Amino acid sequence: MSALLELDKVSKSFSRGGLFSSRRVDAVKEVSFTLDDGRPEIFTVIGESGSGKSTLARMILGINAASSGQVRLAGRDVASYERRAFMAQVQPIFQNPFEAFNPLKRLDRYLFMTAERFGGAADRAAAEELADGALRQVGLSLAEVSGRFPHELSGGQLQRVAVARALVARPRLIVADEPVSMVDASLRMSIVNLFGRLRDELGLSIIYITHDLATAYYISDRLIIMQKGMVVEAGPARAVLSAPSHPYSRQLRDAVLTPDSAGAFRARHPLKAAATPGATP
Amino acid sequence: MSAAPGRAPVLQVRDLQAHFRTRYFGVDREVRAVDGVGFDVRRNEIYGLAGESSSGKTTLVKTIAGLLKPPLEMVGGSARFSFLPEWDAVGRAPPEVVRRIRWRHLSYIMQGSMNVLNPLRRIRHSFRDFAWRHIGGGKREFDARAAAHLERVRLDPSVLSAYPHELSGGMRQRVTIALATICKPDFIIADEPTTALDVVVQKDVLGMIRSIQREMESSILFITHDMGVHAALTDRLGIMYAGRLVEDGETPEIFGRPLHPYTRHLIASLPRIGDVEQREGLEGTPPNLAMPPPGCRFHPRCPLAMPLCATTVPAMVETLPGHRVACHAVNPGAAA
Ligand SMILES: Nc1ncnc2c1ncn2[C@@H]1O[C@H](COP(=O)(O)OP(=O)(O)O)[C@@H](O)[C@H]1O
Ligand SMILES: Nc1ncnc2c1ncn2[C@@H]1O[C@H](COP(=O)(O)OP(=O)(O)O)[C@@H](O)[C@H]1O
Ligand code: SF4
Ligand SMILES: [Mg+2]
Ligand SMILES: [Mg+2]
Repeated sequence: MSALLELDKVSKSFSRGGLFSSRRVDAVKEVSFTLDDGRPEIFTVIGESGSGKSTLARMILGINAASSGQVRLAGRDVASYERRAFMAQVQPIFQNPFEAFNPLKRLDRYLFMTAERFGGAADRAAAEELADGALRQVGLSLAEVSGRFPHELSGGQLQRVAVARALVARPRLIVADEPVSMVDASLRMSIVNLFGRLRDELGLSIIYITHDLATAYYISDRLIIMQKGMVVEAGPARAVLSAPSHPYSRQLRDAVLTPDSAGAFRARHPLKAAATPGATP
Repeated sequence: MSAAPGRAPVLQVRDLQAHFRTRYFGVDREVRAVDGVGFDVRRNEIYGLAGESSSGKTTLVKTIAGLLKPPLEMVGGSARFSFLPEWDAVGRAPPEVVRRIRWRHLSYIMQGSMNVLNPLRRIRHSFRDFAWRHIGGGKREFDARAAAHLERVRLDPSVLSAYPHELSGGMRQRVTIALATICKPDFIIADEPTTALDVVVQKDVLGMIRSIQREMESSILFITHDMGVHAALTDRLGIMYAGRLVEDGETPEIFGRPLHPYTRHLIASLPRIGDVEQREGLEGTPPNLAMPPPGCRFHPRCPLAMPLCATTVPAMVETLPGHRVACHAVNPGAAA
């Protein structure tokens, strides 16, 4: 089976600080994994903030070059692709929809532009049809979005537009960087269910970056857990999350708050201030 | 509204209405994002606001904080803070009064951390700009205090020398939380402050917010759509649906005995680790607030809807002690 995406010991470092105190940050260290071509999957990346997930995503998207190692799409270094040909196959969805869209640009323009540039739409009518179809897949329609500016929608609605925009290009791979972290549980479920459908019905592979362990368990096929730029645990999603073996993975799992964690910070959590006499009635 | 004795409300919101009035290409649109909301936040408590995306949470707290910019307008009602008794809303007070209370009495952690951090200034300078004049002392002393405070949100003091873009989103958000708490204000409005954080850091940060709150006996209005966070952190909880508050009460009471049909759905639909099957979603989508349904805004999706629901707005009624609900099925005969 050939590979859709291969990461081969990919690393990225940045230097930070001023003239005199510059120091190197190893944001991603020797990450390797492969997504097979004939087996669409949802591949989840979990990790603490600052663990390098977004940096990894930007390298996969060809936005940042790796400091060492190689990212290959269909056997070719992503750096060697012509940008448009690459974007027709790999599309991003970012975390903060308000930062992803230019506030002065109407949302339908983004959809039409993506449809024409990457989705193969020959004319405006074809672009509208593609855009409407993609919007309907996320529970919206062109009629609702047409002529609207980003600030006219709330975060959740905008995130659905962002998913639709990626779909318009009819890509093979979507890189979704924390696409549900800003939205509520029911919308979160509807977006991950949508990811599941895209995988099962369209054969799309999705790299799903998240810190939501519940949806990761529910929807993903395989996952990696990152800490400080390194992969600390990898494997089938449900097996790993049911019985995490690395201490960090266990810490992660234990930190998940659910309705059953009622009062974790009201009573049980050992806070020095909460133990102050008189602080609790 | 019943307030426990000795725990006077720091914030009293009454019949608050805030709309977006827009005019694009000759078409007027009015989005009634907050429509008749009322609740109290008491001293020394964390009041949570839950509700799905677009339900008006951000608009509500922006209005309360007086951060009104066109097209957002406060249309009616009041939101009075005890430390600003002469004004019935921050947004109606003159700018110099607002400047005096901001950060020291009232601080606001916005959704999306880039808004408050100046991209061209190192974090150290953002701290000095916002907090130095309230805290005072020498420059070195102040910087040391900022560094110590950053450690409480698990950030290295070297972050003070960084520019915002050099930090990851999670680090920036922790910087924002540190900024909003360093002056130990009476009232903190926090709009999804930990939503962008991973669960481990989130847990730390929530613990830190809780301990600072206890230390200062301050009040926090805490917005998140994450019901797990509400369960763990908040003392009382209000549930918003389509621009209105539909239920509020003590948090354990809301989770243990949800009465409004929407709240029941919200709690039942939460995904958990171990789920392999899809949880029941709710039919339909939240209404477009430019054209909200008449009567109870939840009626097109409500399994208990009856004819009255389509015509008459249900009043918020104290159904059980300290537990208010706006629903005709729960409170027969209570129209707004
Ligand atoms: N452009 C940049 N310049 C300097 N440091 C960066 C840059 N982008 C990311 N980093 C650093 O790389 C590390 C990983 O960041 P990031 O990939 O954003 O993590 P995550 O997405 O997991 O939160 C962090 O320490 C961050 O500060
Ligand atoms: N600048 C704006 N112009 C017009 N409508 C807006 C604007 N910002 C938000 N809205 C609308 O107000 C409603 C409430 O949004 P918001 O307060 O952001 O909800 P939440 O924070 O609960 O997700 C949504 O229907 C949204 O589309
Ligand atoms: S008022 Fe009617 S429609 Fe609204 S929640 Fe109650 S039963 Fe349902
Ligand atoms: Mg990131
Ligand atoms: Mg919001």
